[in-house]
Amino acid sequence: MSVEALEPALIAEHPTGAFARAGLLQRLARDRVAAAAAITLTAIVLAALLAPWIAPYDPYFTDLTKVMQPPGAEHWFGTDNTGRDILSRVIFGTRNTLMLGLVGVIVGGLIGGILGILAAYYRRLDGWIMRLVDVMLAFPAILIGLAVAAIFGAGLAAVVIALVIATIPDVARVARGAAVGVMGQEFMEAGRAVGVTDGALIWRYLTLNCISTIFVFLTLRFGQIILIGSALGFLGMGAQPPTAELGMMAAQGRDFLFMAPHIATVPSCAIFVIVLAANLLGDAFRDVLDPRLQT
Amino acid sequence: MSDVPVLQVDGLVKHFQLSRGIILRRQVGLVRAVEDVSFEIARGETLALVGESGCGKSTTGRLVLRLMDPTAGSVRFKGEEIANLGKDALRRLRRHMQIIFQDPYASLNPRMTVGEILAEPLRVHDIGDPASREARVRELLEIVGLSPEHARRYPHQFSGGQRQRIGIARALAVNPDLIICDEPVSALDVSIQAQVVNLLQNLQQRFGLSYLFIAHDLAVVKHISDRVAVMYLGKLVEIADKKTIYAKPLHPYTQALLAAIPKPDPSLRTKRVMLQGDVPSPFNPPTGCRFHTRCLHPQPRCSAEEPKLREAAPGHRVACHFFETLPVPVIIARAGMANGKFAERLAAFEAAKQAQTPA
Repeated sequence: MSVEALEPALIAEHPTGAFARAGLLQRLARDRVAAAAAITLTAIVLAALLAPWIAPYDPYFTDLTKVMQPPGAEHWFGTDNTGRDILSRVIFGTRNTLMLGLVGVIVGGLIGGILGILAAYYRRLDGWIMRLVDVMLAFPAILIGLAVAAIFGAGLAAVVIALVIATIPDVARVARGAAVGVMGQEFMEAGRAVGVTDGALIWRYLTLNCISTIFVFLTLRFGQIILIGSALGFLGMGAQPPTAELGMMAAQGRDFLFMAPHIATVPSCAIFVIVLAANLLGDAFRDVLDPRLQT
Repeated sequence: MSDVPVLQVDGLVKHFQLSRGIILRRQVGLVRAVEDVSFEIARGETLALVGESGCGKSTTGRLVLRLMDPTAGSVRFKGEEIANLGKDALRRLRRHMQIIFQDPYASLNPRMTVGEILAEPLRVHDIGDPASREARVRELLEIVGLSPEHARRYPHQFSGGQRQRIGIARALAVNPDLIICDEPVSALDVSIQAQVVNLLQNLQQRFGLSYLFIAHDLAVVKHISDRVAVMYLGKLVEIADKKTIYAKPLHPYTQALLAAIPKPDPSLRTKRVMLQGDVPSPFNPPTGCRFHTRCLHPQPRCSAEEPKLREAAPGHRVACHFFETLPVPVIIARAGMANGKFAERLAAFEAAKQAQTPA
């Protein structure tokens, strides 16, 4: 048996860390599905941001002479039961819906993620935080929404609060689960042995190693959040008519499903496209962000 | 100062409380992981801590580093008591004591490049500026036999042996006096083990390091250690210099450990000293001598009275009531250690060492 100590050993050629980081967008672009999702989502976000300039009609202008017109040259997606242009309403509705979903996911994800990671890091807090989370889990999001709306009055603000509260416990559970797994790894102990401070340990060792799990969970959660927001709208607790909001529009169109199916299907399809694009992009981000999945 | 041992451990105790309930916590039991352990390590010396899994050797290592807080006892580093240091003082102490972990796949943060990992100790302790840290990282990589370009890679791009070298480089970064090696080679292939063990010895000579070498592999221990301490169920049962332990073990447990080294020689048909059963639970350790349930020569006194570590010869201490009168085990006296795989591996270590020294 020959042993050659201390000889620099060969290492398989991989893109190095610096390259991998700088090339994140290139790497994302190489995945065609992800690229398509990114382009779609960017277009949707742009349309939502630029709604007043690109919408062909006023989304609130009712024209009772042109009620429930099917899609055509004049109104691309047709008109609804009060003669409003559905394309314009979908563009404006996307604004509200995206805002609901994003705020719910970002704020809820931040609070939930922090709670979950702190619970995993400080074992003393674990029992307290997770019991609090259990209590929150016991209330369905719709019920929380109804309660919040009853206290503060129905409207988008009530929906946002409800969505944030509904997101926190699930994210906290997922974050804690991921973080407890990371806590058991020796590199956490190695960090402590080196003398790394609690703050740096929590951020660079713990959070960065479970963030992809949380991120993917949040992208999946985004779709559900939008649907819950829409359901609250349908129950009259969310966006109030005539405000355009995709979920509420779909719910209202439900009454005319047989006479004018486009009233409900167009906003539903919009939700579908947003959620799908977000999910695909989330998956792609996970692959790119995790150096262990690099091939 | 040089005559003060680098590390003095005295009466170290660690009990883990088992408790139930979240708000109303109540204690349901006590695991006695480490019980009254004392030893010291001189500058430049390697003390090996050996024993079966679960005997408390890793816990002892972590107590010494204060990665865990001891229940009782004293740990003195260069004469200074560290068992009750505050958080900041403890962080400063980390400059002087480091640890190498068992699992090279779990001990490096996968989110950081090797360069970041190696610069971390320097950054934490405010040593140098970014440029000098980078130079130090390159130097460290060269010391452990990797090339400086590897600093930009991530840990998952390395093999197990290479990662373990990164772990060693991290421990060396701050020029510590003492390194706890927690089974640093047991997760590696035999050929890689030899490289890493020799690297550790090499570094010891170069930088005057002291090692607390935790292991269960007696071949590695024989190669690297100066003195050996044997642990059983949280207690030290025997401590002596390497030659004595391997040639003249006095505690029946040490004898059994040495006899358990496989000797693939069919002509050797002597009776082997074989231990029966498993290690009893530290949750409920046996009374008296903790080893009496598995000992080959138990006597009534063993289950009644706990043996203290007694001096058998200068520097050789044994925790057994009857070590003076025990029969010398046949197998070790006759066949010796130079047999089979054990010898082969020792030879591999020596060969590797020869290969790098001649120049």
